[in-house]
Amino acid sequence: MTHAPQSSPDGHEPLRSLEAEIQELGRVHDVALDMIERSHDLDGLLDRILDEYEVRLRDLPGQALGEGYGALSPAAAGKLRALVMFAAEAAALKQKAAVAGELRSRAGALAEANASLALALTDAEAARRELDGVLAALDAGILILGPDGAVRHANPAGRRIAAGGAEGVDRPSIAFLDHVPRGADAEVRLGGDDGDSRLLTVARRDLDGGDGCEVVLLSDITRRSREIEERHRMEKLSEILRALSVLSHKINNPLTSLLGRAQMLKAMAGTDPKVLKSAAVIEESATRIAELIRELARVVKEGRQEAVEKVLNIETPSGPEGGAR
Amino acid sequence: MIVRSDRSLGVLRLRFQGTDALDTLVAAQVKAEALDLILGDADVVVDLSGIAFMDSTGVGVLVSLFKAARRNGRNVRFAGITPGVRLVLEVIKLDRIFELYPDAASAAAAFKGVPRPPAACG
Repeated sequence: MTHAPQSSPDGHEPLRSLEAEIQELGRVHDVALDMIERSHDLDGLLDRILDEYEVRLRDLPGQALGEGYGALSPAAAGKLRALVMFAAEAAALKQKAAVAGELRSRAGALAEANASLALALTDAEAARRELDGVLAALDAGILILGPDGAVRHANPAGRRIAAGGAEGVDRPSIAFLDHVPRGADAEVRLGGDDGDSRLLTVARRDLDGGDGCEVVLLSDITRRSREIEERHRMEKLSEILRALSVLSHKINNPLTSLLGRAQMLKAMAGTDPKVLKSAAVIEESATRIAELIRELARVVKEGRQEAVEKVLNIETPSGPEGGAR
Repeated sequence: MIVRSDRSLGVLRLRFQGTDALDTLVAAQVKAEALDLILGDADVVVDLSGIAFMDSTGVGVLVSLFKAARRNGRNVRFAGITPGVRLVLEVIKLDRIFELYPDAASAAAAFKGVPRPPAACG
């Protein structure tokens, strides 16, 4: 089918054609503006393009659409070309929007991951501060040793115990670890047998995932050890006092009888000097024993440790914390 | 009745019977029957495997079906595109707007996880 220009009886056909072309230009202009306005609203843009397809296809009923629109009139082909241009622009915008959406999605995911990471870091920092607080509050000393045995970290108690009160902890100050095998528990006495010696419990453990590092737990049990010793001594003394109390009662009865018999012997002896002297020795000895028994009974009653030790001649251990109580 | 339909897994499949052309002779009937079937309760696969020829009116029918489904917030896929139909769609660039699949099964499978277009208000 060919579409040669047709003449009209009234001769106005060229004018109508020009008018149609102007209308088409105006419409193309309107659609182009619409597309620009809807470039960020893909669904709206697609609806607009589909409307345009519907309208323009309705204007071309029953037309075969082939390469180059060969079968269409120039005006119809022009309408389709404009439509195709719109569709191509819309498709390009859709593709760009898809890429932009993907980028936004990735940026959002990245921002979300960053926020999660920041939150996790904050949590980890808070947990670390809490852990530091706990470690600082512990009475037990904790040392972290590197594979070379050097002290990498120590909590305050660890520094205090390992260095004997000094702040720093160096390898020489923890030379006592040489006597404790890795993985073992031991008690270590530092400073000789005098009163300044200290008794420590030491536990060496491999640090999980620590690449040869280990953790050392230290506890200064000097005071507790002395307290236990002192308690044992007091328990022993208490037992002695209780035995003395029983013994005093048991000795006192026969002693009273002995004194009475000695006095009776003196009355019956008359002037026999030998008997009188023997009776006097018996009486004096019995009196001394009675006084001793009374003294013991008084001490036992008062529970005075120093007096008992003096009477029994028990030596008190010496030392800054080991004095009698 | 030219348009046949069946539903499976939430997808409405439309196919054409008794004609191998989607042109001005059948377009009005096809459009009316198909629009009656597109109720907005399912995504749509339009199976064009039996269509060898399509003119501008037939293209207009496809555009109308596409719009109708979109108005209800549903997606449309076109499947079984023959060379004659593909040529027409390519000439007027609708191949860049429509989503074309080799067969109805792959078109239906492609609906899984695809967000729906916004339903028209009012």
